[in-house]
Amino acid sequence: MGELSFDRLDTDGALAEAAERAGVVSRGTFLAGALGGTAALLALASEPAAAQGSRDVSILNYALTLEYLQAAFYTEAERMRALRGRASKAAVVVGGVERAHVRAFKDVLGSKAMKSPSFDFQGTTEDQNAFLKTAVAFEDLAVEAYKGQAPRLQAKSALAAALSIHSVEARHAAWMRYLFGVEPATHAFDQPRSKPQVTRVVQSTNFITSSPSTERKRMPRYTG
Amino acid sequence: MSPVGIGRSLRVGLTLAGAGVLGFTAMLLWPAPESAPRLAGLPAPPTPALHVPSPRPLERDPHLSMWSVVRHAATARSAPGRGTRVARLGTRTPEGTDNIVFVQRRARDARGRVWVEARLPVLPNGTTGWLPRERLGGYRTVRTHLLINLRRSTATLTRVGRRVFRAPVGVGLPQWPTPRGRFYIRNKLVRYRSGFYGPLAFGTSARSAVLTDWPDGGFVGVHGTDRPDLIPGQVSHGCIRMGNRDIVRLGRLMPVGTPVTIR
Repeated sequence: MGELSFDRLDTDGALAEAAERAGVVSRGTFLAGALGGTAALLALASEPAAAQGSRDVSILNYALTLEYLQAAFYTEAERMRALRGRASKAAVVVGGVERAHVRAFKDVLGSKAMKSPSFDFQGTTEDQNAFLKTAVAFEDLAVEAYKGQAPRLQAKSALAAALSIHSVEARHAAWMRYLFGVEPATHAFDQPRSKPQVTRVVQSTNFITSSPSTERKRMPRYTG
Repeated sequence: MSPVGIGRSLRVGLTLAGAGVLGFTAMLLWPAPESAPRLAGLPAPPTPALHVPSPRPLERDPHLSMWSVVRHAATARSAPGRGTRVARLGTRTPEGTDNIVFVQRRARDARGRVWVEARLPVLPNGTTGWLPRERLGGYRTVRTHLLINLRRSTATLTRVGRRVFRAPVGVGLPQWPTPRGRFYIRNKLVRYRSGFYGPLAFGTSARSAVLTDWPDGGFVGVHGTDRPDLIPGQVSHGCIRMGNRDIVRLGRLMPVGTPVTIR
C-alpha cells in the first residue's frame, strides 16, 4: 500500500503530523510551507461564546465549524459526480450524516450558532484519489477534535451528544481509510488534538476562504 | 497438523469457549461477592443535549446553478486541453470586484486535467469557453433565476422555481438593443451618488454589441432610474432599468451569480 500524500493540501506539514500520529504515513512524505490566515479560522479559534460564560456553547460552535467543513466537502463531491463505485456511495451516505450533524448543532445553538464559512476544496471533490485522501484526513481530524474537547464539556448532556457523534466520525474514518486502502485501526489508544492544533491543520489546507468580493461602493458605468 | 490433531484442537477450543459463555452468564445471574465491584445499579446514561435528525439524501435540484471566482488569470479555450483560444480572463472586473464565471459543466482532457466550461463575459454575447479548474476558486451555488422579457418589458425573479419578484422595466431602444441570450449577474454596486442609475446597480455578463466603445466595455446593468415615468418600454442604451423601490427590493432577493435569461 502506498503512503498518503497531502502535498497539495498540506503546505505546513500539519496534516502530515495528523496522519503520522494516526499511523498511516511517515512524516517524510510531506512538504513544509507557509500558513495562510482566514477570518473564519480566527473566529474558530477565538471562542466567542466563552465571553458569554458558556464554554459548552463555544465547544459546540467549534464542532459546528468542523461539521460545516465536512458537510460542504461531501456535498460538493456528490454534486460534482466525479467519484466512482464505493467512494461515490460513501460520499452520499457520509454527506447526509454530516449535514444532519450541522442541522443538529444549529438547532441546539439557535442564534448563537456560527455561520458557515466559504470553502474552496481546490479540486479535491473532483478526483477520486484526492477525495479519499482528504476524506481520511478530515475524518481522522474530526475524531481527534471531538476527543480533545469531550473532557472539557461541563454538561453531561453535552458530553453525551459529543460522544454520540464522535463514534460516528470514528466509523467514517474507518470507512474512508478502508476505501483508500489503509488500515482502519492500528493503535490501541487514539490521541486527542487540541483546538489550536486542529485549527492549524484546517488552516494549512486553505480550504476555508474569504467570501468573494462581488459588491462594491462605486459609481456604475454600465450602458445605462 | 493431522486431521485427528485438528479435530482434537477444535474440541478443546469449543469446550473452553462454552466454559467462558457459562462463566459470563453465571456472573450476570448470581449475586457478586461483597468484595467485588457492584455492576448493578449503574445510573442510566444522560440524555444527549442535541437530537441528530435522520440523514437526508441530497436532492437533485434542477434550479441549482454554480459559479466560481477567477482566482488566477486564465485563458479560456474552445475545448478541454488544446482547444483554440477563446478569451483571456483577468481576476477583477472593471468595477473592481472579483471576476466570476458561470459554471456549466466539467470534463477532463487527455492528461486527466479537469476543465470547466463556463459562460464568459465577452463579446460576442453567449460565448462559452473551457478554463483549467485550478485557475478558479471554490464553487458557489444559487437557486435564483432572473428572466427579462423584452417584449413585455418585465423582470421576473424566481427562487427554487417559484416567482418571488416581478416588476416592469425599461429596456434598450431599437438602435441600442438589450442583447438576448443567457448571462449571469457579475457584481453589485451600492452606495454611490447617481440619480441616473438609482440607488443600486447589478452588473451582468451581457455586453452591448453596438456600444463597444462605452467606458469599461459596455456591460449591461440592471439598475434604478430617475425617470420612472419612462418605464415600461424601450428607453435605455441597453441596460435594464426599473423603479428605485423595485431595484432595492431586487437587491435584497437576488444574489450575485444568478443566471439571467433575456428573451
